[in-house]
Amino acid sequence: MANKDPIRVGVLFSETGVTSTIGRSQRRGTLLAIEEINEAGGIDGRELVPLLYDAQSSPPVYARLAEQLIVEDKINIILGCYMSSSRKAVLPIVEKWNKLLLYPTLYEGFEFSNNIIYTGAAPNQNSVQLAEFMTANFGARVYLVGSDYIYPYESNRIMGELVLQRQNSEKVAERYVPLDATEQDFQPIIEEIRQLKPDFIFSTVVGDSTACFYRAYADAGFDPRTMPIASLTTSEAEISQMGGTATGHFTAAPYFQSIDSEVNRRCLARFRARFGEDSVPNLCWEAAYFQTHILANALARSGSEEIAQLMPCLLGSEFDAPQGRVRIDPSNHHTCLYPRIGVVDSRGQFKIVRQATRSVHPDPYMVTHSLGDWAAKLSSVEL
Amino acid sequence: MPGPQQATRTSVRPTPEQLKDLRMLRVVVCHPDDVDGQQLTQQLKRIGCHVQAFWPPLPVLPERTDVVFLAVRPDIIDLSFGWFGGNEENLTVIAVVNYENPTIVEMVLRIGARATLPSPVRSFGLLSALVVARQVHSELRQCKKQLRKLEGKVLGVRRIEEAKNILMRTRNISDTAAYDLIRDQAMSKRVTTEEIAQTIIHANEILSLGKT
Repeated sequence: MANKDPIRVGVLFSETGVTSTIGRSQRRGTLLAIEEINEAGGIDGRELVPLLYDAQSSPPVYARLAEQLIVEDKINIILGCYMSSSRKAVLPIVEKWNKLLLYPTLYEGFEFSNNIIYTGAAPNQNSVQLAEFMTANFGARVYLVGSDYIYPYESNRIMGELVLQRQNSEKVAERYVPLDATEQDFQPIIEEIRQLKPDFIFSTVVGDSTACFYRAYADAGFDPRTMPIASLTTSEAEISQMGGTATGHFTAAPYFQSIDSEVNRRCLARFRARFGEDSVPNLCWEAAYFQTHILANALARSGSEEIAQLMPCLLGSEFDAPQGRVRIDPSNHHTCLYPRIGVVDSRGQFKIVRQATRSVHPDPYMVTHSLGDWAAKLSSVEL
Repeated sequence: MPGPQQATRTSVRPTPEQLKDLRMLRVVVCHPDDVDGQQLTQQLKRIGCHVQAFWPPLPVLPERTDVVFLAVRPDIIDLSFGWFGGNEENLTVIAVVNYENPTIVEMVLRIGARATLPSPVRSFGLLSALVVARQVHSELRQCKKQLRKLEGKVLGVRRIEEAKNILMRTRNISDTAAYDLIRDQAMSKRVTTEEIAQTIIHANEILSLGKT
């Protein structure tokens, strides 16, 4: 007799706290995929049931809830985490209990765990392309500003090194603000930018303070045509919090809502029909969405939710995601993705100005990135 | 009892000094007081070290600290204390890391760590890391000492050579005669030949003043 028991998975994002805008979207991306999977008959007739917890943007809460999901709720698989600090809090717990975490967020690389699948971009899938584009179009004097934690430190190191490969390049300053920074905290930075006049600003500010920074920039009367902000984390979700002040700034990401494909359009339509304007689709939403489908396919093929049986079915698996056909790399557990560069238009959407014609292989342990790397080359999009 | 086919040990090797010293070590643990930090201090106590734990890290360590474990975390990477660098003769630094990206590894190198422990900390592996780090630090210290001595020696030989040249030129004597002169002076003044050579070089410089 076939097992008809539901398969329960933990869904661990932040509904509250400084990174809740993205966290909420990741949770809804996951839920959309789960509903699609169940509408299509579940996993061989077994319903996929999410257990939802709010990790409150706090690493200790992530750790506590991950352990609760495993020990009390007896789940084998967790979909979740945003900031690296939240992933680092959950990593030892899934390793200790030998459970699986799927992590749908770009991060700084230099990690591998037998218990984690990484579906966001590694630096060789976004930083290199962004540096190439910005320096070629605006110049190589860069001002670095970020939130005060490890992802910005490491992203800024990479960006600094990339930019310095150009002629007439200069890292004019590197500044950090608290994770809960307000417009006030950005005032000294805005003043410094006014004095130093960089060619562009690289922002690794994350969470709700992203909107504060872009607003402070706009209030200062700076012009994105001559000194734009380039980012890896400013997505449609953060832009929706800004009220039009992001127009003309750039982001590198594997996914933008504006991707012109049937898969993407249908996915967005289903999402809006189900969740309305409750949450704004973005790169992390898309990763959360496609990784859930990849998981469901692997569950169906392996017939087991135990990591030993499930992992071989996850590794090497492919899926037609809204960004294109993605693949989990069997050797490093990261994902082959499609780097793109977008510029924000007046409606808060990204006009895609460069995109990869083929997916770029993840290389999470790359220490020295170089401009002009063939894998980093993007084709121009007709404007 | 070993079986007859097993090779018997021919001699009992002495216990290495680094192991004998373990129970006398004064260890400072700079780690947040969480499960990892407690695991670390408890294991060090089991081993028998004298342990004191602090967080945030101390700018100045307690006197006569032999080993310091420092949790290298993103929130302290801007710190720069005098004891960082591994240059203090009797202080071995060990890093405890939970990230392995270049930003963190750069700090591990900057503090002069002689070993790293991955976080979450496990009891197993700590003793070997501690002993190996102490051994590496002590060997490095010996090497540095030796190097300073040799540098001094090389400098001395060069000085004697220079002083000999001065004597040969100014007195029109042979190489051997010049050296004998330096050695005789050293004997009678009860100082080293290097010092005599240095004096000759100095005197020559002064006497050469104003000459073209």
